Amino acid sequence: MSEVKDTPIESSPLPAPKPKRPLPLSRQMVNEQTAKCYAEAWAAKENGEPVGWSTAIFPQEVCEAFGVPVLYPENNAAAISAKHLGDPFIEHAEGAMGFPINICSYARLNMGMADVLDNPDYKADPAMPRPDFLLLANNSCTQLMKWYECLSEALNIPIFFVDCLFNYYEEEPAFYKVKYVRSQIENYIENMEKFLKRKLDWDKYLEVQKRSQINCQLFNEIVDLNRRTPAPMSGFDLFNYMSCLVLCRGKESTTEIFKQLKAEVEENIKNNTSTFPGEEKYRVHWEGIACWPNLGFNLKKLKEYNVNAVMNGYVTAWDVRYAPGDLDGMAKAYQTSSTNSLSTPTIMNKRVDSIKNFGCDGMLCHVNRSCKLMTFHIFVGREIVESNAHIPVANFDGDQSDTRIFSEAQFETRLQGLVEIMKEQKEGAV
Amino acid sequence: MNTLDMALQRLQEIAANPRKILDGYLAQGKKVVGCFPIYVPEELVHAAGMIPMGLWGGQVTPTIAAKYNPISTCSVMRSCLEFGITGKYRGISCAIMPMLCDTFRGMSAGWRAGVKDIQLAAFIHPQNRNDTYAQYFLTAEYRALAARVEKLTGEKVEDDKLSASIEVYNLHSKTMMNFTQVANDHLDVVNPIIRHAVMKSAVFMPKEEHTIAVQEIIGELNKLPKHDWKGKKVILSGITAEPNEFLRIFVENNIAVVGDDIAQESRQYRTLIPDGANPWERLSGQWMNRWGCSTVHEKQFSRGKMLVDMAKDSGASCVVICLMRFCDVEEYDSALIIKDVKEAGLYSLCLEIDQSTQNNEQSRTKLQSFAELE
Ligand code: SF4
Repeated sequence: MSEVKDTPIESSPLPAPKPKRPLPLSRQMVNEQTAKCYAEAWAAKENGEPVGWSTAIFPQEVCEAFGVPVLYPENNAAAISAKHLGDPFIEHAEGAMGFPINICSYARLNMGMADVLDNPDYKADPAMPRPDFLLLANNSCTQLMKWYECLSEALNIPIFFVDCLFNYYEEEPAFYKVKYVRSQIENYIENMEKFLKRKLDWDKYLEVQKRSQINCQLFNEIVDLNRRTPAPMSGFDLFNYMSCLVLCRGKESTTEIFKQLKAEVEENIKNNTSTFPGEEKYRVHWEGIACWPNLGFNLKKLKEYNVNAVMNGYVTAWDVRYAPGDLDGMAKAYQTSSTNSLSTPTIMNKRVDSIKNFGCDGMLCHVNRSCKLMTFHIFVGREIVESNAHIPVANFDGDQSDTRIFSEAQFETRLQGLVEIMKEQKEGAV
Repeated sequence: MNTLDMALQRLQEIAANPRKILDGYLAQGKKVVGCFPIYVPEELVHAAGMIPMGLWGGQVTPTIAAKYNPISTCSVMRSCLEFGITGKYRGISCAIMPMLCDTFRGMSAGWRAGVKDIQLAAFIHPQNRNDTYAQYFLTAEYRALAARVEKLTGEKVEDDKLSASIEVYNLHSKTMMNFTQVANDHLDVVNPIIRHAVMKSAVFMPKEEHTIAVQEIIGELNKLPKHDWKGKKVILSGITAEPNEFLRIFVENNIAVVGDDIAQESRQYRTLIPDGANPWERLSGQWMNRWGCSTVHEKQFSRGKMLVDMAKDSGASCVVICLMRFCDVEEYDSALIIKDVKEAGLYSLCLEIDQSTQNNEQSRTKLQSFAELE
């Protein structure tokens, strides 16, 4: 590698790079926490202790109480994609492994990576150690089940499964549904005790439940602060704190991070400042997962058009709320928290409420090629949003990890179109 | 025309004209319930005195369905929604939909938004079948489904009727599996198009009637001398293997189908409803025993080995995956199947099934190359 020499600024054909803003303390804490999780998993692996891979909205309370390190392939795939490091794994999954291009790109990326875990030609960052078991909850989608079946087959490791069903109507889960999910959590604990050859510490388990509730509550309070106009945060900031909920929902360190973040946001409110880098002329509700490889471009364009995506439904999926100690409540919460475990009318009417609460002028939807169900919500839910929230909706095509779908030009055109309608509506309302 | 030809022709006509069949039932004053693929407990509909009819879409280029269907919706669900919105299914009392994959999760809302005249009765299967309460859950879910269908149609399911319907369905399943065996001795008569028609007609007919028709065909086939097929033999796997234009490529290339794992065909029939005293538990017990299917979670992937065994047992040299466009559960399985089939020293072909196009040229090229292999 050649060393980059300092070039005198006046002789450079390129504009001087902008000095990077230092990360706020809360973000630094997130990075440290994430690094610690990975380090602990690697350390456990080196000591011959088991390590798990888990779907994103699984009853994490159990392994947290057992003190067994667990990493999250969806979160890992997002991190790798945001660093533009996903393509080689996706190519491997589609090529050598023969998985079709249409399946979820998180799955392709992760299955590709799992197949080359020991191959030094492939570099994942962050890299996950080889798992010894899998934790599967299908509350986000059915593809997760298929993905984990393939992992289990390839790595020859067991799956601990909590089938969360799907709420196809707009009603509370019936008692027999809750009973089935509860029974699975109970059996999971028993099976995990057998697998680890030790007993669960029930006091610790309860403590983790309490901690998880504190963290979910704190995060909600922070998100709610963005109701203010202008918002104290760029809505995209929320994506940066999701890992706390996915990886460390039951940890005290997450409480510390959220307290710090809350203080930073309150400080912004006090000073009438914001982390949104532009002027907030329009507030939109973002629907869907981020286009991780294009996050920077999306934010740049939003700033250019003075649009702050103040709220997004995706980050609320980890709002797994129940009274600590109430197993039925926990079972129900895991059945209903994810965007994709609820019917389109249920989820889109929630979005309508949130659009109203956050004073959004429009909705910007990521038609994510990977995620069928979220895309269905967008297509079928459009009428619900337009007629109940009376705001314009714009869609753009993209993908969370596959870099071949997103088009910068289309994104800008759609955003521009949305801004024009929002502008007209605002002016008409005056 | 002899008895066999007439029987086969009748089933071909039924398979090709479901709307005509539906109109016939409606004209007789019968109530018809639409059943989405797959594993809808049709026995409930049958026991309530109604006609269950499969909803499998058809060859159409969807236009209006696009409003509620993302481009990545599987081909069969897109055409079902198109038919639903455009009135092709008009007259059906309600439609039962199983939440077996993400497309169904989305379609449950898409259908309700787009098809106002046919109410939806949704239900879900438990996937963690090892759990103590999995069957308990499904039994309760089936009862809830029956109650929903009753609300929509006014027809009730009585336990004794359900027991009787279960017998009808088990006999039908056995007959269908028997047909697949007998057909292999007469591949000169039962070519892939005819085989498919015998299978597909079942999804539109009352099972007792279809059983009689297929038994007659089996009887007639058994009267013929066994045929020694000299062409290639394959096993089909997938959701559907149609239309006839697609299957004609097999016929033209002297390729016989000697077994299938097609969801519209044998996949439904290979697991019988177990014995027992309580018909609701018997019905849920069938799901607990299902295997080798992309929509059924198993501890270990058994489908690849199942297909290899099927091929070896029937002398097939190739497993043909008929991959429904945008069917993600089948897409995941396809990679594992191909690996298992190759490891067993067999050929595998992956052909795309897309109801929105008449273009089968890619399949033709692949099948021709396979046919030319020594
Ligand atoms: S992105 Fe969508 S399809 Fe992929 S794992 Fe997440 S919920 Fe499932």
